[in-house]
Amino acid sequence: MRKEKELIYQQQLRQDLLDRKMDRREFISKTLTAGLGLAGVGVISNFGNFAQAQSRPLTPTFYQWIEDLHPGIPQVNSRFPDVNYQIAPVEGFGIERFVAEAKKKDSTWDVYVGQTPFVEMTAMIEADVIEPWDNYIPKDVIDDIIPSIREECTINGKMYGWPFLLDVIGTGWHAGIVKEAGLPDGAPATWQDYLSRADQVIESGAAPFGATFDANGWRSLAPFTHSLSSDVYTSEGLFDFTGDAAIEALMLMKNIMSKSHPDIMLAGTSDGGVNGTPDEVAFAAQRVGYYNKYFNAPLRMAQYWDNPKDLRMGPLPKFAGGEGSTVFWTTGAALFKHGKNKDKAAEYVKALTYDQQIWKDSIAGTETAHPGQLPPYKSLYAGWKSSQPDWLPDFVDLVRGQLDQAKAITNHLFGLQQFQIGKPIWESYLKGEEKNPRVAMQKVVNAVQAEMKRG
Amino acid sequence: MSQDLLWATLLWLPTRGETAKVTTGNPAINGPTPKSWLVEHNNWVFLLPTVLFFVWYQVYPIVRVVWISFTDYKYLTNDPANWVGFDNYVEALSDPLMWDSLGRAAYFTAMFLPGTIIIPLLLAVLIHGVQNQRLATVYRVILLIPAVIPSTLVFVLWKWMYNYQIGPINHFLVEVTGWFTYRNAPQWLGGTDLTLPSVAIMEVWWGLGYHSVFFLAGLAAIPKDLPEAARIDGAGEWQVFWHIILPRLQPIMLILVILRFGTSMGVIDEYLIFGGFNRESPTYTWTIFMYDQAFKTGLWRQGFAAAIGMVGSLAMMVFVTWLIYIFRSRD
Repeated sequence: MRKEKELIYQQQLRQDLLDRKMDRREFISKTLTAGLGLAGVGVISNFGNFAQAQSRPLTPTFYQWIEDLHPGIPQVNSRFPDVNYQIAPVEGFGIERFVAEAKKKDSTWDVYVGQTPFVEMTAMIEADVIEPWDNYIPKDVIDDIIPSIREECTINGKMYGWPFLLDVIGTGWHAGIVKEAGLPDGAPATWQDYLSRADQVIESGAAPFGATFDANGWRSLAPFTHSLSSDVYTSEGLFDFTGDAAIEALMLMKNIMSKSHPDIMLAGTSDGGVNGTPDEVAFAAQRVGYYNKYFNAPLRMAQYWDNPKDLRMGPLPKFAGGEGSTVFWTTGAALFKHGKNKDKAAEYVKALTYDQQIWKDSIAGTETAHPGQLPPYKSLYAGWKSSQPDWLPDFVDLVRGQLDQAKAITNHLFGLQQFQIGKPIWESYLKGEEKNPRVAMQKVVNAVQAEMKRG
Repeated sequence: MSQDLLWATLLWLPTRGETAKVTTGNPAINGPTPKSWLVEHNNWVFLLPTVLFFVWYQVYPIVRVVWISFTDYKYLTNDPANWVGFDNYVEALSDPLMWDSLGRAAYFTAMFLPGTIIIPLLLAVLIHGVQNQRLATVYRVILLIPAVIPSTLVFVLWKWMYNYQIGPINHFLVEVTGWFTYRNAPQWLGGTDLTLPSVAIMEVWWGLGYHSVFFLAGLAAIPKDLPEAARIDGAGEWQVFWHIILPRLQPIMLILVILRFGTSMGVIDEYLIFGGFNRESPTYTWTIFMYDQAFKTGLWRQGFAAAIGMVGSLAMMVFVTWLIYIFRSRD
């Protein structure tokens, strides 16, 4: 063949390969037959991966529980032809697989839906697994995110998380038990009121236990502290365990425990002990009156009741003179640095997070799940306020009101671990082994600092 | 179990080869027939694929972990690993949590091992004594049922059994017998003092059939005339068991004890499910400490985690050496 014809033919073969009109075997055969020899192999090595990358469909991966609780996701997927939807190989907040792939500058997936900022976002940034959404997320979406939520997903001015499912710590109660105890069917306004109502539940015999909470620190100690003050983080970004607000919260926890089931401090039965916790079992078994946790817990547990409609929900009580804040976090999407299809990923996540059916199913519930997780966008709440759908329960408005005061746990590499390290230590006070809460909390600080010093 | 089979193969095959020598011709007339190298060493030839697999999937990872243990490797960073000598080992050995966590694993092993030997041995002796072969088969099948249940299902089953609020054990203790109330019922899991014994009971139950099969095989290999002769000489059943059967089961006991010692000291799945990362929990053993450091805490200091693993492994090897000495043949 003459040289120019060789080049034209090679170009044509290359294009056919990219357009998937032939596979690699055929490409090699044709190049060899045409006398182009090893040029074909060179093309494969240079363009094979590129062809694969170009033709790889959008590949999002979800934390298993998200699929379990949100049955509307397949409908969103149906709007994206060829989307290669997968379940992430994570358990107990593990990100090992993502980190392992990032070390090889590779990623099987394009976007991970399941990231909670204070839990794994900092670690994923340190390990160079994810990149900011700033170049891909539309500006109108950024402006639409509730400010405190946007702050939660931002580190050094860059948004590393696209928020999706909002969890807020509040109060749930069993209206049947409360009525039997002769108590009013409304949220206790203060912690004092809460404690006396819990006593009343036990004394009346309506239930064996008055109140319960999830003993993991980010689900109890932190929100109880925020109900007094949300300015409870050190300059390093760690929780201020020895601050007055945290000490008050710890003492409150001890008080609640005296009205609760004995196994309240035990580890849960799944996900490394953080899920399937004893508080959920007690509430599902209708053995306790009042319950503090993120709303999807009482909603899920009430499904086991004789009458699930007995569930009521409201905001966290306040300390007298307290700020009345709480803790929230979002589970959102992280963009893999070494993934592909980034523009498409942004389109997909936008469609997912704005989907009205997903929010209706989440808030009103379906036959299979009732997570009660809320959206992060101002416009959705505004829309519901102006034209309230008949499926919208009251707690949504209450929670939206709280979001203007609520604060997320600050992002830090030890954001979650500080609570896991501290829990057995502050529990020495809760169990009565240590009389002084400040001493217990100082030991918590010492233990966290010691762990951080390891490197 | 697949690891047990691999170890059994590696221990058994080389000795088998020694008895399988090939001879041809009449050595009285022609003298010994020369054998090819391949024929003489055929057992090793057949062993080669397993050895290669073993070296690549077992030996190489161990060597690599040993190397990592002498570095400051942090998985979450892209910083190169620097050689730090024995710093990780010094840190591990001077950390009270290392000793606490090793002690917890040892405590669990002390509860688990006797259950792995004594109960299956007794059951095997009882089943072996059943004269009706059909009935003996039925007993064997019943014993093996737990062994064929996948681990996930076993954990789900026992988590439910031990559940404080809704588990059948506490239901029996509170609702049926009234021995406890919902305020003072036992807390079986979740990091209480009962957690390790509860996990040990689950593990013993799970392994009953599997371990009994080992002893049944050993009992079948004992020549019948030995205990018969002893009985004729006036020995009681206990004497027959203690002086004839038990010594001949010693090699099986050695294998079981060493295998189960290793697995019980190295338990991690059950502790992750039943205990989590509470450092005060009895289930926070050296394996959880290692996992916590390697995949959960801070920048994932895998050099330090590897050193924790090596310290635990070396402690186990010392103990295994002692076990081999205790169970050595006295013939």
